[in-house]
Amino acid sequence: MSQDKAAAILAAIGGTDNVIEIEPCITRLRCELTDPELVDEQALRRIGVHGVLRSGDAVQIVVGPDADNLASDIEDLR
Amino acid sequence: MSVAVLAPVSGRVVPLTEVGDPVFAQSIVGPGIAVEPADEATEAVAPVDGVVAALHPHAFVVTSPTGVSVLVHLGIDTVRLKGEGFALHVVKGETVRAGQRLVDWSPPAVRAAGFAAVCPVIALDAAPEALRMARDAGTVSVGAELFSWSGG
Repeated sequence: MSQDKAAAILAAIGGTDNVIEIEPCITRLRCELTDPELVDEQALRRIGVHGVLRSGDAVQIVVGPDADNLASDIEDLR
Repeated sequence: MSVAVLAPVSGRVVPLTEVGDPVFAQSIVGPGIAVEPADEATEAVAPVDGVVAALHPHAFVVTSPTGVSVLVHLGIDTVRLKGEGFALHVVKGETVRAGQRLVDWSPPAVRAAGFAAVCPVIALDAAPEALRMARDAGTVSVGAELFSWSGG
């Protein structure tokens, strides 16, 4: 299930090609993206993320306490 | 069942709304309170008995036997320090006692690097009304009760 969620998040942030780096920090994924405009916030909300924050080119996806595991699952998919 | 959540560091108690990070300030991952540490190298201790469920140099989660998880974040955006200046004394999965030293770190070094050193203490996924603050202003000593978490 976690793998499905990882795949859904990866798709919602524009797929592998859009990802420069994803850095997890306990409750959030800090995503450095080629094109932050490709992030589909509606899709992320449907997946059940707590929030999406943008600061410059970085997008922080607040996923809850499972961020570290999710980030490694996303890395496995890349 | 109520769990006493202890201050991970000594310092000045500040409301989460004054923390310069929207995720914490808006209680997006849970309610809680923050401690602004004094300007000296210090330790951070476990806020509750339990298992170290997540561990970074600058942040950790301890999950109590009753299933509640408390997040302690040492400074804001300190993931960017990539562990520099933080010395861990436990590993992920280790069972710890409330008040046990988990990390040595230096609030002055964090501030000198341009980051806030304030430490949010978050009751992950808790209902706000489940927390009863032991103190919501003034100062707190490391290991003293910050709040109790009922229903956990």
